[in-house]
Amino acid sequence: MVKFSLDGKTVSAPEGELLVYAAARHGVFIPTLCHDEKLDPYGGCRMCVVDVEGSPRPLPACATRVTAGLAVSTNSSVPQYRKTLTEMLLSEHLNANPGGRPNELLDMAEELGAAAPLILPDAKREPYEDRNRLMGYDPDACILCNRCVRYTQEVMQCSALSLEGRGPTARIVPTHGHSWLDTECELCGGCLSTCPTGAIYEKFHEGAPPQHERSLDQVKSTCTFCGVGCQIDLHVDPATKRIVKVTSDPGYVSNEGNLCVKGRFAFNFVHHPDRLTQPLVRGEDGELHPTSWDDALRVAAEGLRGVKERHGPQAIGVLASARLTMEENFLLQKLARTALETHSIHSCEAT
Amino acid sequence: MGRGATTNSIPEIENCKFMLVIGSNTTEAHPVLALRMKKAVRKGATLVVADPRKIWLTKLAKRHLQLRPGSDVWLLNAIMHVILEEGLQDEDYIREYTEDLDAVREVVARYTPEQAEQVTGVPAADIVATAREYAGERKAAIFYTLGITEHACAIDNIWSLSNLVLMTGHLGYESTGLNALRGQNNVQGLNDAGANPTYFPGYQTIDEENRRKFSEAWGVPIPERPGYRLDQMMSGLHDGRVRALYLVGENPAHTEPNAHHVEEGLGKLEFVVAQDLFLNETSRAHANVVFPASSFAEKDGTFTNTERRVNRVRKAVPCPGEAREDWRIVVDLARALGARWPEYRTSEDVWNEFADLSPNWSGIRYDRIEEVGLQWPCTDREHPGSPYLYADRPARASGRGKFYPVEYKPPIEQPDSEFPFVLSTGRTLYHYNSATMTMREPGVLDKQEDPFVEINPEDAVALGIREGDWVRLVSRRGDLEARAAIGERVFPGLVWMALHFAQAKVNWLTHDVGDPLIGTPEYKVCAVRLEPVAP
Repeated sequence: MVKFSLDGKTVSAPEGELLVYAAARHGVFIPTLCHDEKLDPYGGCRMCVVDVEGSPRPLPACATRVTAGLAVSTNSSVPQYRKTLTEMLLSEHLNANPGGRPNELLDMAEELGAAAPLILPDAKREPYEDRNRLMGYDPDACILCNRCVRYTQEVMQCSALSLEGRGPTARIVPTHGHSWLDTECELCGGCLSTCPTGAIYEKFHEGAPPQHERSLDQVKSTCTFCGVGCQIDLHVDPATKRIVKVTSDPGYVSNEGNLCVKGRFAFNFVHHPDRLTQPLVRGEDGELHPTSWDDALRVAAEGLRGVKERHGPQAIGVLASARLTMEENFLLQKLARTALETHSIHSCEAT
Repeated sequence: MGRGATTNSIPEIENCKFMLVIGSNTTEAHPVLALRMKKAVRKGATLVVADPRKIWLTKLAKRHLQLRPGSDVWLLNAIMHVILEEGLQDEDYIREYTEDLDAVREVVARYTPEQAEQVTGVPAADIVATAREYAGERKAAIFYTLGITEHACAIDNIWSLSNLVLMTGHLGYESTGLNALRGQNNVQGLNDAGANPTYFPGYQTIDEENRRKFSEAWGVPIPERPGYRLDQMMSGLHDGRVRALYLVGENPAHTEPNAHHVEEGLGKLEFVVAQDLFLNETSRAHANVVFPASSFAEKDGTFTNTERRVNRVRKAVPCPGEAREDWRIVVDLARALGARWPEYRTSEDVWNEFADLSPNWSGIRYDRIEEVGLQWPCTDREHPGSPYLYADRPARASGRGKFYPVEYKPPIEQPDSEFPFVLSTGRTLYHYNSATMTMREPGVLDKQEDPFVEINPEDAVALGIREGDWVRLVSRRGDLEARAAIGERVFPGLVWMALHFAQAKVNWLTHDVGDPLIGTPEYKVCAVRLEPVAP
């Protein structure tokens, strides 16, 4: 641990810790835009600049490390820089159509009382269309912080996205300008999750929810697609009671907020019209017919009891499933071992 | 070693210094866990991949051991040969915590790297280098999946890996161990909860004492006769031992090997109850009763992930129509069968009964896993959970890990002049098992809709097959058509298919001869021939 000065107070932190984290632990919150704790320090957007004694210009707290004796000020000229920077970014953002998407830039503008300056924005950037049905990109909402590109390079370690062009025409494109479906992009949506301005966005399966995305209900749960057990937040439209999107928080231990294409996007099976909504019983015509729960349970119980009486309990097998919860599997084995009187319970996922 | 579970935790992976990934296409089957491996490599770890295919991870690997399918025992025995020959083993660990090394020493002495090269196709120098690196690094971990277990010699493969881990003492601390990556969301929990013919909940053996314990808890006698395993149930369909099935979330007509044969057996059943989200091949054709069930988003409960962490599942949306939570359906059916069960008001009531009866879970309660899941063993409410196993010593009764000598056995079905190709199978990133969920997701299907078969360019040229052509695959048990995906991911003589496609079920081709001890089918190796399909 070393001592350094933060807004006139002497505080301590491990040597080499990023200033943005050290300050936060001492109660000084420094806003960031291009920073993501999953990514290497970048210092691109300058939103987190602070004054450091002896430095000729302000330094980014997200890329400056604590050393002994460092004297940092976050409240001198810094708020003015931040407001000016926000206004400059806003002016590039005027043609954006971020809908109700979460937007760190607009949140910051509101907090700082920053408004877009009265200058003409650059001409609208050339729109970008992609035939994939999961994610879209709005160049006018993009502040070129490069978080998405860095996520693909540093976390996924693939080359799905790159920054192309310069100045007003600069934008993010899938590698070599191909469709996202034709690059090594795995559609994991990591770029989307790290985008601070909603420039990369979900193309909602059923159209965007009418209200702001933040007014959706959130329910924390566990992903159902593999054994990693990623922790997820299911966003539910309170009006329709349907899941509209899935996100994850960087603080979740096993997956650190990362998801794959299935976990993030393949939730629509839950609301699929093919879902069974009524019990079915096979009739004498050989077809399955809808019936009541009472009837279905009675037929099932009679059928199983009949086989048990004719052939003994060993003639009944129960196949449980890894799709089910612990509690359900526990009850199924209890059903086999008590009501059906057999230990023949297994599953197709025996491996 | 004593427990059927992954030894270490996901967050520890990024601090590994050496990783051997064998029989696991991690970036596709466990994509988010693979991110930790990528992170470890970025932090300087050495990655060695042993896999018949050039999977994505080989791009990051220092070395790819491209072994022939089913030759894992040869490879692993040869690695151990080098370790013992060069004295790289951990003598202290072996003395304190293991038994019967000599039996393994005797066997692996015959497995030289040079001969291994002949059988496995992996250069001897690569075997030697891997042995030295693995034995020489303390934070060295092994990861495996179904590429190891879906063989007739599944247990042999696992014993080989266990031997390797024990002889190097890579057990009982962070960022090491033998890590079986569980394929499905709750396959660990399914076994933990006792949905298994050989164990009561919590891996309590079915002996007299435990039968008494559960009989007292549940108020009814517990049967004495052992139950059938899955493979025994499947063969029992044909010989009349099994006359009724209760299938919950299962689709054996798709997922079981030699699927045509299974289909025929299901037709002989007197009574089938199916419980699922959708109708599938099995329920449509064979079910007498179908219960409409719940998805993960429609119920409360827990899943246990591959690192033994019990995570909460929470109800976010209502069940559609009259569909019910699966646990309520089981309770309703038990009542209809006349069982006198206590009243379960919530999934938590069910959990508490399980935890009260299962010592290694008794400390895990809903109020403790609201924010972060706990890892078993967790024996009381003060227990912090167990990020890694065997911190004190192996969990067998003797307190010592046992070495099991393993001899190589070739795969059951070898290629011949009629069926000259080896077919191996697996999963892809974009689908999940029989794909009843992912095939209903257009945005994901865009990436991968048609069944495909990976073929080496050399074979493709010889057969006159071009990229995207439809090809017929024929085995002794069935045939199917898939599009050719030509590339270097497979070597000449090997073809590979994913298991997800209903219109081209790879299990029409696979055979159902499994491991003699545990019955795991050999999905990973069978013999086929390829025929171009006229356009």
